[in-house]
Amino acid sequence: MKKQYVLKKVLQSLVTIFFVIVFNYFLFRIMPGNPLSMIMRNPRASAEAIERTKELFGLGQPWYMQFFIYLGNLFEGDLGLSFIHKRPVIEVVWSRIMPTIIMVGLAQILSIVVGILMGVISAWKRGTKVDVIALSFSLITYSVPTFWLGIILIAIFSIGLRLFPTSGMLTPGRTFYNTLSMIRDYASHLFLPVLTLSLVLIGEYALTMRNTLLDVLTEDYMTTAKAKGFDDNYIIKKHAIPNAMLPMITLIAINMGLIIGGTIQVETIFSWPGLGRLMYEALNGRDYPLLQGIFLLITISVILANLIADITYSYLDPRVKS
Amino acid sequence: MKTKRRIVIMLTIIMVLSMFQTSTFGSQTQEPDAMRIGVTVEIDSLSPLISYSQIGYEVFMLLYDSLITVDENLEPVANLAKNWTLNDDQTEWTFELRDDVQWHDGEPFTSADVVFTYNMLLDSDLGMYSGYLGGIVEVTAPDDHTVIVRTEKPKANMLQNSCPILPEHIWKDVNPDDYMTWPNDEPIGTGGFKFSELRPGEYLKLVANDDYFLGRPGIDELIFVLYANTDTMAQSIKLGEIDAATNFSPSQLDSLQAETDIEAISAVVLGFTELSFNAWDDPSSNANPLLKDIVIRQAIEWSIDKQSILDIVYSGQGSVGTSLIPPEGFYHYEPSADELRDFNIEKANQILEDAGYIDLDGDGIRQDSDGTPLEFTFTLRADNTDEVKAGQMIAGSVAEAGIKLNIETVDDGLLIDKIYSGDFDMFIWGWGTDLDPTTILNVMTTSQIGNMSDSNYSNERYDQLFIEQQTIMDPAERQQVVWEMQQILYEEAPYIILFYDNSLQAVNTAKWSGWKRIPDEGGYFFNLTNYNYLNVQPVSDAAPVESGSNTVLYVVAAVVAVAVVFMFNKKKKAK
Repeated sequence: MKKQYVLKKVLQSLVTIFFVIVFNYFLFRIMPGNPLSMIMRNPRASAEAIERTKELFGLGQPWYMQFFIYLGNLFEGDLGLSFIHKRPVIEVVWSRIMPTIIMVGLAQILSIVVGILMGVISAWKRGTKVDVIALSFSLITYSVPTFWLGIILIAIFSIGLRLFPTSGMLTPGRTFYNTLSMIRDYASHLFLPVLTLSLVLIGEYALTMRNTLLDVLTEDYMTTAKAKGFDDNYIIKKHAIPNAMLPMITLIAINMGLIIGGTIQVETIFSWPGLGRLMYEALNGRDYPLLQGIFLLITISVILANLIADITYSYLDPRVKS
Repeated sequence: MKTKRRIVIMLTIIMVLSMFQTSTFGSQTQEPDAMRIGVTVEIDSLSPLISYSQIGYEVFMLLYDSLITVDENLEPVANLAKNWTLNDDQTEWTFELRDDVQWHDGEPFTSADVVFTYNMLLDSDLGMYSGYLGGIVEVTAPDDHTVIVRTEKPKANMLQNSCPILPEHIWKDVNPDDYMTWPNDEPIGTGGFKFSELRPGEYLKLVANDDYFLGRPGIDELIFVLYANTDTMAQSIKLGEIDAATNFSPSQLDSLQAETDIEAISAVVLGFTELSFNAWDDPSSNANPLLKDIVIRQAIEWSIDKQSILDIVYSGQGSVGTSLIPPEGFYHYEPSADELRDFNIEKANQILEDAGYIDLDGDGIRQDSDGTPLEFTFTLRADNTDEVKAGQMIAGSVAEAGIKLNIETVDDGLLIDKIYSGDFDMFIWGWGTDLDPTTILNVMTTSQIGNMSDSNYSNERYDQLFIEQQTIMDPAERQQVVWEMQQILYEEAPYIILFYDNSLQAVNTAKWSGWKRIPDEGGYFFNLTNYNYLNVQPVSDAAPVESGSNTVLYVVAAVVAVAVVFMFNKKKKAK
């Protein structure tokens, strides 16, 4: 039964991914503009050179052939050649993927842990000073513009306290004599972007957690649990949180995917060499293959995150399966 | 048990925080003298056959050498070529090459490299340098240190040819079909700096060439650091994270000028921002045909208050534009008082009135004799907020002359397509120019329609003069011809040159000495020379970078620790 459920979900995900691939492909083709002018940028190019370029980038074929060639290459792991960088898309994307995963991953973990914790405390202490403070904190961080928050954090931590560098991923050009000094340098650069992104996310998680938990806390089975004489800690851990986690899992799953492309602001403030900025550059240069590659990656991560969420549901709440 | 845990947590936090501390502002005494330059555009390729960017030009000037280069007075000087002679009919140049030059990998540099490079560029027609070689018909090498270049006609800009010489022993293995994609990942040149590493999205690092034939540079490591936004970059240079940077905004310049260790300047650069009309006289043109009338184009220029726009939008950084070639160049033509069209709405109204454009229906917009209103689409680049603001001000003042401009903002790529297909009325964009006027003059020739031309302008006399000026060896004589060309353009106004742009740069003078602006009002870099890169020296007794205060660090650590302990206490009490 369980196996069947998982299999069904995996199949559904694969079908979705396929449709997104098809949709993305044509979405970029109907965008206005002639990609050739962006690739060549050479007004003096001869007709022969133009022919050669068309062939190299597969633009000489009719559109349906181009599509099938794209699909065929895709299954071989070949995402085509980036127009701007004149290199395989996979290579270009790969060099930017780790910085994003590390930065976003850390920020997600941090904000999930802190957000849930704050939400729980807030809900449990509803109406007290602690709740008011946590609630205002969440509302403020949730609503401040990311860009502004980043600049303020730079002002405090880089300019005021001189604790962390303003931007970049490693001190540019520095030679590291051992791994530890490199990790240290990396970590000091990582601190502010992660803090900024976490602060923005914590509010969202804390508010959602608080609200759902408040609903759960008024349920009859909570009273029953109390009547049974369990202590508060046990009730929260075993009865309240698992029930309140369902909406959280959904939220986390959605964020996981969106956040890969959605960190453009944080990456721009701190000049972090991630995927968000790459996507923006690709869009500006109408680099279809690169855009398609990044979109595909985002699609897969959204669908994967949702797949994991679906499966997690079935463990957290056995009713979901039926 | 609980207390123990608290202490452990506190210690961990302090340890983690102190780990960061030393890394950022640690002493750099044992480190090489690294100069970090903040830039906002990443190099598009390390191959001179692929790159078309300004930063590419700058970097290739450091990695490679050309036969002739320009000195700090922007005069041609010997570089890879020791000296050169020109034959009597001025079509054969003989360059005698230095014999003490080595490639970065130790191979000797010879005339074969020059022949190979020039032929490769002439055959492939790729990259931003091939245009400099226009007119060359044959390149030969009679011996290892002599190169003979034959041209069809005299070539006036032969000595302004900044084409980098590439190593034959590396490039000969590349299949010509792959030139367009071969990345040249580890460039080998002869220049003052060697390639070290490129981290996409982060930085490009070069190191000093110990064996450079003009002497080792004073900078040990030269690092171009990529910034995604200039606010952060301005803070970085104040903090000493970088030593120099370019592309600041006027307000950032003001705040940098207040710093004692930093010299912040507004430098003239060769370039301009223009309003371009679609003057295409062709059935396939989608432009409003009224724009073919010079009077309308002139009237629009009369109605633009360039000085106010410059002051308001660009905080006065730059100067008001007139003709095609910027005033720093020897070939700049300054319109006479009679010719000059400075801001004058009455004049605009008068010439439109005289030409028969009258507002008959009283809606504030003039019409031609057929009743077609003088209404045009004004395309602006969405990414450039300054140009959008300038465009809005222009539309406002042009309306007072009875001409309606409908603003649309688009992304660069779409505008390029509109230009190529002739589907636009007018737009604002800019050009950077060379020391030699040929490239920018070429933009307005008939043969460039569909290629480099972005106004689809055509004038027979201009085209003739363009060919002529390329072959006049006497600068004074050539200047006359180039002046006439600019006069034609100014009169017919396919472009309204709005401003000559400035570049806002800053350098740290406490850590580095010997900075020189080129020319006198120009910039420290992106000035077409590599003078500062080769000549700037580290200030030996430079005060060490101010180190992050330990007290502050421990205060932060203590606050965090106390907060954590407080939280745990609260939790306990809650039970």
